[in-house]
Amino acid sequence: MNYKKTQACAVAALATALGATSLSAQELTIGLSSEPTAVDPHYHDLTPNNQLGMHIYSMLATPDANLMAQPELATSWEAEDDNTWVFKLREDVKFSDGTDFDASDVIFTFCRVMNNESAIGSTGSSVVSNFESVEAPDPHTLRIKTKQVEPIMPEMLAGVPIISDSIVEHDDITFDLPNDCGVTGTWPSIDDFNVGEAAVGTGPFKLEKFSKGAEISLMRNEIYFGTQPDWETVTFVPVPSDGPRLAGLLSGDYDMIESPAARDVAQIEENEAFEYVSTPSNRVIFLQMDIGRGDSPFITTEDGSNPFQDVRVRQAISMAIDRQAIVDRIMDGLARPAYQFIPDEMFGAIPSPAPMEYNPEKAKELLAEAGYPDGFKVTFHATNDRYINDSQIAQAVAQFLTRVGIETELDAMTRSMFFSRRSGREFSFSMGGWASSEGGAASFLRQYAVTTDDARGVGGSNYGDWSDPEFDAFVLEAISTVDETKRSELLQQAEQMAVDKLGFIPLHFESTLWAFRKGVSYDGRADQFTLAYQVERATE
Amino acid sequence: MAAPNTRLDRDEIVAVRQPLTNTPQRRAMLGKLKRRPSVRNSLIALLVITLIGLCLPFFAQQDPYDLTSFSVMDNRMPPMSESFDGMVFWLGTDGQGRDMLSAILYGMRISLLVGLVSTALALIIGVSVGLVAAVLGGRIEALLMRLVDFVLGFPSILVALVLLAMIGRGVDKVILAIVMVQWANYARIMRSSALSERRKEYVEAAHNLGYSTGRVMFRHVMPNSLSAVLVLATVQIASAITLEATLSFLGVGVPVTEPSLGLLVANGFDYLMSGAYWISFYPGIALLILIFSLNLVGDRLRTALDPKRS
Repeated sequence: MNYKKTQACAVAALATALGATSLSAQELTIGLSSEPTAVDPHYHDLTPNNQLGMHIYSMLATPDANLMAQPELATSWEAEDDNTWVFKLREDVKFSDGTDFDASDVIFTFCRVMNNESAIGSTGSSVVSNFESVEAPDPHTLRIKTKQVEPIMPEMLAGVPIISDSIVEHDDITFDLPNDCGVTGTWPSIDDFNVGEAAVGTGPFKLEKFSKGAEISLMRNEIYFGTQPDWETVTFVPVPSDGPRLAGLLSGDYDMIESPAARDVAQIEENEAFEYVSTPSNRVIFLQMDIGRGDSPFITTEDGSNPFQDVRVRQAISMAIDRQAIVDRIMDGLARPAYQFIPDEMFGAIPSPAPMEYNPEKAKELLAEAGYPDGFKVTFHATNDRYINDSQIAQAVAQFLTRVGIETELDAMTRSMFFSRRSGREFSFSMGGWASSEGGAASFLRQYAVTTDDARGVGGSNYGDWSDPEFDAFVLEAISTVDETKRSELLQQAEQMAVDKLGFIPLHFESTLWAFRKGVSYDGRADQFTLAYQVERATE
Repeated sequence: MAAPNTRLDRDEIVAVRQPLTNTPQRRAMLGKLKRRPSVRNSLIALLVITLIGLCLPFFAQQDPYDLTSFSVMDNRMPPMSESFDGMVFWLGTDGQGRDMLSAILYGMRISLLVGLVSTALALIIGVSVGLVAAVLGGRIEALLMRLVDFVLGFPSILVALVLLAMIGRGVDKVILAIVMVQWANYARIMRSSALSERRKEYVEAAHNLGYSTGRVMFRHVMPNSLSAVLVLATVQIASAITLEATLSFLGVGVPVTEPSLGLLVANGFDYLMSGAYWISFYPGIALLILIFSLNLVGDRLRTALDPKRS
């Protein structure tokens, strides 16, 4: 809420403090477009949080550019049978507090994920809830038995940051959930991580300070097992507003910024002291409708029905929106219209999906056919500080929908409010974003589209309760199929079905920009992460 | 965009306590007001703004709140450009393709509406509370005045932000929030004027005539203690408008699809670095003129009503 005010002050301060550049070689200051909500890596599966987590913690495996798992804390793994995975762990790793890393820490992490009062959504628990048992035959070997077949276990574990068991009092740690896993003290809370006490990891940096709304400072972890990053200290300053963030870069306050606005790119290009990189991302921006409830809180229709339950209405919405106009006019060309939920080149995607047509006339006809010739009223909820140009996109969507007769009132709010209200299923119609990572198409489908099943850890974000048994069967089969070709086929079929039935309406894929001063270089990542340890010091 | 300090000190309160009747003093006051061209100009500006606000559809070529009347295809057009159907955007368009001139005119109307309605409501509440406290005295007075102290103890912008975060956005809710933070100012002033008024002989006389407390309160004490509060109110209108603009700028005021002046400035803020200055510049100017005129009129009114200054 206070961000904009802070920025206004920041701009004023910048104007006066011009020239105070910190070119000290080992310090890196990055202006973030979106602030992490916590240092707790198991709090909320949100890009800014995961990105910060990757600096402080390591995972058993890490996804490479093609999202395939590469060894990190685990040196190797193999599937002994369909339901058993064995991971060999690195032996030379120490946590930033000096304690040794071993299997006990991993088991503790799994236990914590399942004993996490403060978690929003199913962060990490979607993986761990599938574990039948976890054993450590020796301190550097893990044997995981699963309830359901999980063909992409290493990729899934790449999303679970490992924390140290030294942050709680405990006896022998075993994967014995009913008996607290051998933990005798209190489970760490989100605050324990935020103040830094519990933020002990094996990552390239350690947390120095996390001041919400102000800055996050990290220090190089000198006992990190991997390649040491180029920077001794890294400071992240969240500046959600585009103008001040760019002003901060241009005035030398930041060495690098996330997501400069596409409309400002020309200015960076003209300036010889700065460079930028643009990378197409895996993030899809989509509309989510409340389909489950017959009586939805933010819909007004004449007969009190929920129009979103009719597929024709959803098709009408999709047809009413000119995706190309959004890409051209609001995203300044730095986005791609989305006709499915993951980019065409990803695993399990429809290779070349049919473009979703923009046809307001047909949309009106479809609405009339569905029994809403005069449309209906709906309140549309969106964030205004999370995705690139989110509130602008949401306004344009409201504009397009109102034009075909769906009177759309927009309520754009700050993301912390939006996310907690959305997970409370308070909305009827909202705009979200999802960056697909591990497992390609499975990532979105299992998290958002499948009927919610906490026991299986799927559908955790299906806030609109779209439920289609036929579709579910495809996805659930796909995610337990070991054979890659077959899995890919099943996922494609599931993706096609999701597109046909429009339980969600895809809008576009973001392209991500980074801008930095000369002397710093960054390659850009499809997962949109800004990772300070991959920022290189270029020779000047 | 902080609210200006509008609290009057005690001297001024005492000075403007005299009721306005058709007396030589009144003529002198009006004369003082008339002689100042700045007052006249402000009044004219205010009058024009109010007139435009009242008969908006004649002036605005587009209804900026009607999402069907503009198109995102026309967005970020510089001033004086033309849309494909021949409409001229005198002051350009914003990020959604809204005509800035129409948006400013509608935004001004919202600002004025918020300013007037919230001030009127706060005035009614504040005057009642102050009057009741002064006339009834005792525990009720202590209770009410501690409540006033409590409200005044918090920065108004903070209270309004928290309130709006809880109750959501909308013009009505902004008005409610402003009333909640402003009524206490009136209550405080009203109480002090009424307190000194209460001890006067005519009030005692009224009591002795057997009039009820209510009648004495509203028919005798109130009219005679109102002038200070009224002067404060003229200044508070401007501060209410500023508060609304600030709240909208911070993103908790009016809905994004119904921009007020503050929200227009906030929207344009994102485009400042890319050269589309007109999106926040012109609404900023409009806001400036509006608040400046109101403040000037309020300020001069205060001076004119002060018999100690010539």
